[in-house]
Amino acid sequence: MGLFNRSGGAKVVVSPTNVTPRQTVTANVTTDKAIDKVRSARLEWGYTNFYQYHWAGRADSVAAAGNDTIWTMDQVGTNYGGDRDTDDWVSVDGEDVPIATGEFTGASSTFRIPSWAPPSSPLIARWECRLTVDRGGRDVDARGEFAVVIGTADVEAYVDPIEVVAGAAETVIDITLGSPVYRAGDVITGQATLTPTIDLPDGDLAVSWQRDRESHPLTRTPGPGNQWDGRIVTLGKRIPLRAGVPVVLPFEIPLPADAPPTATAVHSSLSWFVQARLMYAGFTGHMLERVRSPIVVVNAP
Amino acid sequence: MTAVQPPHPGEPPPPERGLSREERGRDVSEAQAEAEAETSKFKQFLHAMSPRLVWSQAEGYPVVVKQFLQFCLILIYPAWVFAVLVGGLLTLLFYVTVYPLLWVLFWPVRAYQKKNHPEEYAATREKFAKNQTT
Repeated sequence: MGLFNRSGGAKVVVSPTNVTPRQTVTANVTTDKAIDKVRSARLEWGYTNFYQYHWAGRADSVAAAGNDTIWTMDQVGTNYGGDRDTDDWVSVDGEDVPIATGEFTGASSTFRIPSWAPPSSPLIARWECRLTVDRGGRDVDARGEFAVVIGTADVEAYVDPIEVVAGAAETVIDITLGSPVYRAGDVITGQATLTPTIDLPDGDLAVSWQRDRESHPLTRTPGPGNQWDGRIVTLGKRIPLRAGVPVVLPFEIPLPADAPPTATAVHSSLSWFVQARLMYAGFTGHMLERVRSPIVVVNAP
Repeated sequence: MTAVQPPHPGEPPPPERGLSREERGRDVSEAQAEAEAETSKFKQFLHAMSPRLVWSQAEGYPVVVKQFLQFCLILIYPAWVFAVLVGGLLTLLFYVTVYPLLWVLFWPVRAYQKKNHPEEYAATREKFAKNQTT
Protein backbone atom coordinates (compact mmCIF):
# COMPACT_ATOMS: atom_id res chain seq x y z
CA MET A 1 0.00 0.00 0.00
CA GLY A 2 1.33 3.37 -0.79
CA LEU A 3 3.81 2.59 -3.54
CA PHE A 4 1.31 3.26 -6.29
CA ASN A 5 -0.81 5.48 -4.15
CA ARG A 6 -0.54 8.85 -5.73
CA SER A 7 -0.77 11.86 -3.58
CA GLY A 8 -3.08 14.62 -4.68
CA GLY A 9 -1.84 18.02 -5.72
CA ALA A 10 -2.37 21.26 -3.91
CA LYS A 11 -3.82 24.51 -5.18
CA VAL A 12 -3.04 27.98 -3.88
CA VAL A 13 -5.65 30.67 -4.47
CA VAL A 14 -4.79 34.22 -3.54
CA SER A 15 -7.48 36.83 -3.14
CA PRO A 16 -7.73 39.62 -4.04
CA THR A 17 -5.56 39.24 -7.13
CA ASN A 18 -4.93 42.95 -7.65
CA VAL A 19 -3.56 44.75 -4.62
CA THR A 20 -1.70 47.92 -3.75
CA PRO A 21 1.04 48.21 -1.10
CA ARG A 22 -0.16 48.16 2.53
CA GLN A 23 -3.19 46.05 1.62
CA THR A 24 -3.67 42.54 2.93
CA VAL A 25 -4.00 39.43 0.79
CA THR A 26 -5.12 35.98 1.81
CA ALA A 27 -3.96 32.70 0.37
CA ASN A 28 -6.09 29.58 0.68
CA VAL A 29 -4.45 26.25 0.05
CA THR A 30 -6.75 23.39 -0.88
CA THR A 31 -5.93 19.81 -1.75
CA ASP A 32 -7.89 17.29 -3.83
CA LYS A 33 -7.25 14.78 -1.10
CA ALA A 34 -5.03 14.77 1.94
CA ILE A 35 -1.27 14.70 1.22
CA ASP A 36 0.35 12.01 3.37
CA LYS A 37 3.85 11.26 4.66
CA VAL A 38 4.45 14.97 5.13
CA ARG A 39 7.55 16.02 7.05
CA SER A 40 7.07 19.78 6.82
CA ALA A 41 5.15 22.33 4.85
CA ARG A 42 5.96 25.96 4.30
CA LEU A 43 4.08 28.90 2.83
CA GLU A 44 6.21 31.72 1.45
CA TRP A 45 5.27 35.17 0.22
CA GLY A 46 7.53 36.97 -2.18
CA TYR A 47 8.25 37.65 -5.79
CA THR A 48 10.02 36.13 -8.74
CA ASN A 49 12.53 38.73 -9.81
CA PHE A 50 13.44 38.94 -13.50
CA TYR A 51 16.90 40.18 -14.45
CA GLN A 52 19.79 39.69 -16.82
CA TYR A 53 23.19 38.28 -15.94
CA HIS A 54 26.46 37.56 -17.66
CA TRP A 55 26.81 33.78 -17.59
CA ALA A 56 30.56 33.43 -17.19
CA GLY A 57 33.89 35.05 -17.81
CA ARG A 58 35.08 38.58 -17.19
CA ALA A 59 32.70 40.97 -18.92
CA ASP A 60 35.39 43.49 -19.94
CA SER A 61 38.28 41.17 -20.76
CA VAL A 62 40.33 41.65 -23.93
CA ALA A 63 39.13 38.32 -25.24
CA ALA A 64 35.49 39.35 -24.76
CA ALA A 65 35.89 42.57 -26.73
CA GLY A 66 34.89 40.96 -30.01
CA ASN A 67 32.00 38.97 -28.61
CA ASP A 68 29.12 41.28 -29.22
CA THR A 69 30.01 42.40 -32.70
CA ILE A 70 27.72 41.38 -35.50
CA TRP A 71 30.46 39.65 -37.51
CA THR A 72 31.38 37.24 -34.75
CA MET A 73 27.85 36.33 -33.71
CA ASP A 74 27.78 32.91 -35.33
CA GLN A 75 31.40 32.02 -34.59
CA VAL A 76 32.36 29.16 -32.35
CA GLY A 77 34.27 30.21 -29.26
CA THR A 78 32.78 33.62 -28.73
CA ASN A 79 30.60 34.55 -25.84
CA TYR A 80 27.85 35.97 -28.05
CA GLY A 81 24.58 35.84 -26.19
CA GLY A 82 26.46 35.52 -22.91
CA ASP A 83 24.03 37.91 -21.27
CA ARG A 84 21.03 35.86 -20.34
CA ASP A 85 17.57 36.49 -18.94
CA THR A 86 16.81 34.70 -15.74
CA ASP A 87 14.75 34.97 -12.57
CA ASP A 88 15.26 34.35 -8.88
CA TRP A 89 12.86 33.93 -6.01
CA VAL A 90 12.95 36.69 -3.40
CA SER A 91 11.26 35.61 -0.21
CA VAL A 92 9.70 38.42 1.77
CA ASP A 93 7.82 36.55 4.45
CA GLY A 94 7.10 32.93 5.25
CA GLU A 95 5.58 30.63 7.81
CA ASP A 96 5.71 26.92 8.56
CA VAL A 97 2.36 25.15 8.41
CA PRO A 98 1.87 22.99 11.51
CA ILE A 99 1.65 19.31 10.57
CA ALA A 100 -0.11 17.11 13.09
CA THR A 101 -0.24 13.51 11.88
CA GLY A 102 1.93 13.63 8.81
CA GLU A 103 -1.01 14.75 6.71
CA PHE A 104 -1.52 18.04 4.94
CA THR A 105 -5.08 18.97 4.08
CA GLY A 106 -4.90 22.69 3.56
CA ALA A 107 -3.82 25.96 5.06
CA SER A 108 -4.36 29.65 4.81
CA SER A 109 -2.16 32.64 5.34
CA THR A 110 -2.48 36.41 5.22
CA PHE A 111 0.18 38.85 4.12
CA ARG A 112 0.38 42.60 4.24
CA ILE A 113 2.06 43.93 1.11
CA PRO A 114 5.05 46.00 2.29
CA SER A 115 5.13 49.66 1.35
CA TRP A 116 8.40 49.14 -0.54
CA ALA A 117 7.00 46.28 -2.64
CA PRO A 118 8.12 46.42 -6.28
CA PRO A 119 5.00 46.47 -8.47
CA SER A 120 4.34 43.48 -10.71
CA SER A 121 5.48 43.70 -14.30
CA PRO A 122 6.93 41.22 -16.79
CA LEU A 123 10.24 43.11 -16.61
CA ILE A 124 10.76 43.11 -12.85
CA ALA A 125 8.60 41.01 -10.58
CA ARG A 126 5.79 38.46 -10.35
CA TRP A 127 4.29 38.26 -6.87
CA GLU A 128 3.41 34.81 -5.62
CA CYS A 129 2.47 32.76 -2.62
CA ARG A 130 4.38 29.50 -2.72
CA LEU A 131 3.62 26.27 -0.96
CA THR A 132 6.43 23.75 -0.49
CA VAL A 133 5.55 20.39 1.04
CA ASP A 134 8.50 18.21 2.00
CA ARG A 135 7.34 14.63 2.24
CA GLY A 136 8.46 11.03 2.05
CA GLY A 137 7.75 10.82 -1.65
CA ARG A 138 7.48 13.35 -4.39
CA ASP A 139 7.43 16.86 -2.94
CA VAL A 140 4.45 19.03 -3.66
CA ASP A 141 4.99 22.56 -4.92
CA ALA A 142 2.21 24.94 -5.74
CA ARG A 143 1.96 28.64 -6.21
CA GLY A 144 -0.71 31.26 -6.44
CA GLU A 145 -0.04 34.46 -8.30
CA PHE A 146 -1.27 37.93 -7.61
CA ALA A 147 -0.42 41.36 -8.94
CA VAL A 148 0.82 44.37 -7.01
CA VAL A 149 -0.05 47.68 -8.58
CA ILE A 150 1.15 51.04 -7.32
CA GLY A 151 -0.71 54.31 -7.34
CA THR A 152 0.30 57.92 -6.94
CA ALA A 153 -0.15 57.68 -3.16
CA ASP A 154 2.35 54.81 -2.89
CA VAL A 155 5.34 56.69 -4.19
CA GLU A 156 7.05 59.75 -2.94
CA ALA A 157 8.54 61.65 -5.83
CA TYR A 158 10.37 64.89 -5.85
CA VAL A 159 11.76 66.96 -8.66
CA ASP A 160 15.24 65.75 -9.54
CA PRO A 161 18.04 67.62 -11.25
CA ILE A 162 18.35 67.05 -14.96
CA GLU A 163 21.04 64.64 -16.06
CA VAL A 164 23.23 65.65 -19.00
CA VAL A 165 23.77 62.45 -20.98
CA ALA A 166 25.74 63.75 -23.95
CA GLY A 167 26.90 66.96 -25.51
CA ALA A 168 28.97 69.98 -24.61
CA ALA A 169 26.08 71.82 -22.86
CA GLU A 170 26.43 74.76 -25.25
CA THR A 171 22.69 75.10 -24.84
CA VAL A 172 21.32 74.63 -21.35
CA ILE A 173 18.25 72.41 -21.75
CA ASP A 174 15.79 72.53 -18.89
CA ILE A 175 12.78 70.21 -18.74
CA THR A 176 9.88 71.31 -16.55
CA LEU A 177 7.22 68.67 -16.05
CA GLY A 178 3.61 69.13 -15.07
CA SER A 179 3.98 66.44 -12.42
CA PRO A 180 6.76 64.09 -11.29
CA VAL A 181 4.38 61.09 -11.32
CA TYR A 182 2.43 59.77 -14.29
CA ARG A 183 0.07 56.88 -14.71
CA ALA A 184 0.48 54.39 -17.55
CA GLY A 185 -1.55 55.63 -20.51
CA ASP A 186 -1.34 59.25 -19.37
CA VAL A 187 0.10 62.04 -21.45
CA ILE A 188 3.28 63.57 -20.06
CA THR A 189 3.00 67.33 -20.27
CA GLY A 190 5.78 69.78 -19.74
CA GLN A 191 7.99 72.29 -21.39
CA ALA A 192 11.55 72.41 -22.59
CA THR A 193 13.50 75.62 -22.13
CA LEU A 194 16.56 76.14 -24.31
CA THR A 195 19.06 78.73 -23.15
CA PRO A 196 22.00 79.00 -25.57
CA THR A 197 25.23 80.13 -23.94
CA ILE A 198 26.67 81.32 -27.26
CA ASP A 199 25.27 82.11 -30.70
CA LEU A 200 24.54 78.76 -32.30
CA PRO A 201 23.16 77.43 -35.56
CA ASP A 202 19.44 76.59 -35.69
CA GLY A 203 18.42 73.72 -33.49
CA ASP A 204 16.28 70.62 -34.00
CA LEU A 205 14.66 69.53 -30.73
CA ALA A 206 12.82 66.28 -30.04
CA VAL A 207 11.61 64.65 -26.81
CA SER A 208 10.56 61.12 -25.91
CA TRP A 209 10.12 58.87 -22.93
CA GLN A 210 12.86 56.44 -22.00
CA ARG A 211 12.79 53.47 -19.70
CA ASP A 212 15.87 51.91 -18.29
CA ARG A 213 16.09 48.45 -16.73
CA GLU A 214 19.17 47.84 -14.66
CA SER A 215 20.19 44.40 -13.47
CA HIS A 216 22.03 44.25 -10.16
CA PRO A 217 22.00 40.64 -8.97
CA LEU A 218 23.32 39.87 -5.52
CA THR A 219 25.82 37.18 -6.53
CA ARG A 220 25.93 36.77 -10.30
CA THR A 221 27.75 39.07 -12.71
CA PRO A 222 25.18 41.64 -13.81
CA GLY A 223 24.09 42.06 -17.41
CA PRO A 224 24.58 45.40 -19.14
CA GLY A 225 21.01 46.67 -18.65
CA ASN A 226 18.56 47.66 -21.34
CA GLN A 227 17.12 50.96 -22.47
CA TRP A 228 14.00 51.52 -24.50
CA ASP A 229 13.13 54.82 -26.13
CA GLY A 230 9.59 55.87 -26.95
CA ARG A 231 8.60 57.41 -30.24
CA ILE A 232 10.17 60.83 -30.55
CA VAL A 233 8.00 63.92 -30.53
CA THR A 234 9.56 66.62 -32.70
CA LEU A 235 9.21 70.08 -31.18
CA GLY A 236 10.89 72.11 -33.87
CA LYS A 237 13.20 71.68 -36.83
CA ARG A 238 14.60 75.20 -37.09
CA ILE A 239 14.70 76.80 -33.68
CA PRO A 240 16.81 79.97 -33.71
CA LEU A 241 19.40 79.85 -30.91
CA ARG A 242 20.86 83.22 -29.92
CA ALA A 243 23.12 83.69 -26.92
CA GLY A 244 21.12 84.22 -23.74
CA VAL A 245 17.69 84.24 -25.45
CA PRO A 246 15.62 81.44 -23.92
CA VAL A 247 13.22 79.50 -26.12
CA VAL A 248 10.28 77.76 -24.42
CA LEU A 249 8.60 74.82 -26.15
CA PRO A 250 5.70 72.97 -24.54
CA PHE A 251 5.39 69.24 -25.27
CA GLU A 252 3.07 66.28 -24.80
CA ILE A 253 4.35 62.70 -24.77
CA PRO A 254 1.84 59.84 -24.60
CA LEU A 255 2.82 56.98 -22.31
CA PRO A 256 1.85 53.46 -23.41
CA ALA A 257 -1.20 52.08 -21.62
CA ASP A 258 0.69 48.94 -20.60
CA ALA A 259 3.78 50.78 -19.36
CA PRO A 260 5.48 48.77 -16.58
CA PRO A 261 5.69 50.91 -13.45
CA THR A 262 8.85 52.26 -11.82
CA ALA A 263 10.23 49.56 -9.54
CA THR A 264 13.21 48.74 -7.38
CA ALA A 265 13.69 45.07 -6.58
CA VAL A 266 16.62 43.05 -5.24
CA HIS A 267 18.07 41.93 -8.57
CA SER A 268 16.78 44.54 -11.00
CA SER A 269 15.11 47.92 -11.16
CA LEU A 270 13.20 49.95 -13.70
CA SER A 271 13.35 53.71 -14.02
CA TRP A 272 11.61 56.13 -16.35
CA PHE A 273 12.84 59.36 -17.90
CA VAL A 274 11.77 62.12 -20.23
CA GLN A 275 14.64 62.74 -22.56
CA ALA A 276 15.34 65.61 -24.92
CA ARG A 277 17.85 65.74 -27.72
CA LEU A 278 19.00 68.82 -29.56
CA MET A 279 20.84 68.76 -32.88
CA TYR A 280 22.43 71.76 -34.53
CA ALA A 281 22.10 72.55 -38.21
CA GLY A 282 25.15 72.03 -40.39
CA PHE A 283 28.41 70.22 -39.88
CA THR A 284 30.27 72.84 -37.89
CA GLY A 285 31.31 70.60 -35.06
CA HIS A 286 28.58 71.33 -32.53
CA MET A 287 27.86 68.13 -30.69
CA LEU A 288 24.43 66.64 -30.24
CA GLU A 289 23.00 67.51 -26.81
CA ARG A 290 21.07 64.94 -24.83
CA VAL A 291 19.54 65.40 -21.39
CA ARG A 292 17.05 63.41 -19.36
CA SER A 293 14.83 64.06 -16.42
CA PRO A 294 13.57 61.24 -14.20
CA ILE A 295 9.86 60.61 -13.78
CA VAL A 296 7.88 58.00 -11.86
CA VAL A 297 5.37 55.81 -13.66
CA VAL A 298 2.57 54.15 -11.71
CA ASN A 299 -0.23 51.90 -12.93
CA ALA A 300 -3.09 52.52 -10.50
CA PRO A 301 -5.06 55.64 -9.61
CA MET B 1 15.39 59.64 -7.70
CA THR B 2 12.27 58.47 -5.97
CA ALA B 3 11.96 57.46 -2.40
CA VAL B 4 9.33 54.94 -1.56
CA GLN B 5 7.65 55.86 1.70
CA PRO B 6 9.53 54.79 4.84
CA PRO B 7 8.84 51.21 5.94
CA HIS B 8 5.93 50.83 8.29
CA PRO B 9 6.47 49.42 11.76
CA GLY B 10 5.69 45.74 11.74
CA GLU B 11 6.56 45.07 8.13
CA PRO B 12 9.73 43.29 7.03
CA PRO B 13 12.60 45.63 6.07
CA PRO B 14 13.31 45.92 2.34
CA PRO B 15 15.87 43.32 1.25
CA GLU B 16 19.27 44.58 0.24
CA ARG B 17 19.83 45.04 -3.49
CA GLY B 18 22.91 44.05 -5.45
CA LEU B 19 25.29 46.16 -7.52
CA SER B 20 24.88 46.94 -11.20
CA ARG B 21 27.68 46.68 -13.74
CA GLU B 22 28.52 50.39 -13.51
CA GLU B 23 28.59 50.26 -9.72
CA ARG B 24 30.92 47.27 -9.72
CA GLY B 25 33.43 48.95 -11.98
CA ARG B 26 35.41 47.36 -14.79
CA ASP B 27 35.30 43.58 -14.72
CA VAL B 28 38.82 42.57 -15.81
CA SER B 29 41.49 40.25 -14.49
CA GLU B 30 44.37 41.52 -12.39
CA ALA B 31 46.90 41.09 -15.20
CA GLN B 32 44.73 43.03 -17.62
CA ALA B 33 44.13 45.84 -15.11
CA GLU B 34 47.93 46.16 -14.77
CA ALA B 35 48.32 46.39 -18.53
CA GLU B 36 45.59 49.00 -18.80
CA ALA B 37 47.14 51.09 -16.02
CA GLU B 38 50.38 51.34 -18.05
CA THR B 39 50.75 54.81 -19.58
CA SER B 40 53.39 54.07 -22.18
CA LYS B 41 52.11 52.51 -25.40
CA PHE B 42 55.22 50.37 -25.72
CA LYS B 43 54.82 48.89 -22.24
CA GLN B 44 51.15 48.28 -22.94
CA PHE B 45 52.05 46.14 -25.92
CA LEU B 46 54.64 44.32 -23.83
CA HIS B 47 52.02 43.61 -21.17
CA ALA B 48 49.54 42.41 -23.79
CA MET B 49 52.06 39.72 -24.76
CA SER B 50 52.58 38.42 -21.22
CA PRO B 51 51.47 34.82 -20.77
CA ARG B 52 49.85 35.80 -17.47
CA LEU B 53 47.41 38.11 -19.28
CA VAL B 54 46.57 35.52 -21.91
CA TRP B 55 46.11 32.84 -19.22
CA SER B 56 43.84 35.15 -17.22
CA GLN B 57 41.35 35.39 -20.08
CA ALA B 58 39.88 32.10 -18.87
CA GLU B 59 39.01 33.59 -15.48
CA GLY B 60 35.42 33.52 -14.37
CA TYR B 61 34.37 30.43 -16.32
CA PRO B 62 32.99 27.33 -14.63
CA VAL B 63 35.32 24.47 -13.84
CA VAL B 64 36.16 22.21 -16.84
CA VAL B 65 35.25 25.02 -19.27
CA LYS B 66 37.95 27.11 -17.63
CA GLN B 67 40.59 24.40 -17.91
CA PHE B 68 39.62 23.76 -21.50
CA LEU B 69 39.92 27.46 -22.29
CA GLN B 70 43.32 27.61 -20.60
CA PHE B 71 44.42 24.66 -22.73
CA CYS B 72 43.23 26.46 -25.86
CA LEU B 73 44.93 29.68 -24.76
CA ILE B 74 48.23 27.84 -24.42
CA LEU B 75 47.77 26.45 -27.92
CA ILE B 76 47.09 29.84 -29.45
CA TYR B 77 49.73 31.68 -27.42
CA PRO B 78 52.23 31.95 -30.33
CA ALA B 79 49.46 33.29 -32.56
CA TRP B 80 48.48 35.77 -29.82
CA VAL B 81 52.05 37.07 -29.59
CA PHE B 82 52.21 37.29 -33.37
CA ALA B 83 48.92 39.23 -33.48
CA VAL B 84 50.09 41.69 -30.82
CA LEU B 85 53.41 42.17 -32.65
CA VAL B 86 51.60 42.80 -35.92
CA GLY B 87 49.28 45.22 -34.13
CA GLY B 88 52.26 47.02 -32.65
CA LEU B 89 53.98 47.17 -36.01
CA LEU B 90 50.88 48.54 -37.71
CA THR B 91 50.54 51.21 -35.01
CA LEU B 92 54.17 52.14 -35.50
CA LEU B 93 53.72 52.15 -39.26
CA PHE B 94 50.70 54.44 -38.93
CA TYR B 95 52.63 56.95 -36.85
CA VAL B 96 55.56 56.86 -39.27
CA THR B 97 53.68 57.09 -42.56
CA VAL B 98 50.02 58.14 -42.38
CA TYR B 99 50.14 60.36 -39.32
CA PRO B 100 52.76 62.82 -40.68
CA LEU B 101 50.84 62.93 -43.94
CA LEU B 102 47.61 63.88 -42.16
CA TRP B 103 49.55 66.30 -40.00
CA VAL B 104 50.84 68.14 -43.09
CA LEU B 105 47.49 67.86 -44.86
CA PHE B 106 45.56 69.46 -42.00
CA TRP B 107 48.17 72.15 -41.34
CA PRO B 108 46.06 74.90 -42.98
CA VAL B 109 42.99 73.90 -40.91
CA ARG B 110 44.98 74.06 -37.69
CA ALA B 111 46.56 77.36 -38.67
CA TYR B 112 43.13 78.78 -39.47
CA GLN B 113 41.74 77.62 -36.12
CA LYS B 114 44.75 78.95 -34.24
CA LYS B 115 44.34 82.35 -35.86
CA ASN B 116 40.56 82.73 -35.76
CA HIS B 117 39.52 80.66 -32.73
CA PRO B 118 42.55 80.71 -30.41
CA GLU B 119 40.65 79.75 -27.23
CA GLU B 120 38.92 76.83 -28.96
CA TYR B 121 42.27 75.69 -30.36
CA ALA B 122 43.89 75.82 -26.93
CA ALA B 123 40.96 73.90 -25.43
CA THR B 124 41.27 71.14 -28.01
CA ARG B 125 45.02 70.87 -27.50
CA GLU B 126 44.54 70.66 -23.76
CA LYS B 127 41.86 67.99 -24.18
CA PHE B 128 44.12 65.73 -26.20
CA ALA B 129 47.10 66.37 -23.94
CA LYS B 130 44.95 65.22 -21.01
CA ASN B 131 43.82 62.12 -22.88
CA GLN B 132 47.39 61.05 -23.39
CA THR B 133 48.29 61.12 -19.72
CA THR B 134 45.21 59.27 -18.47
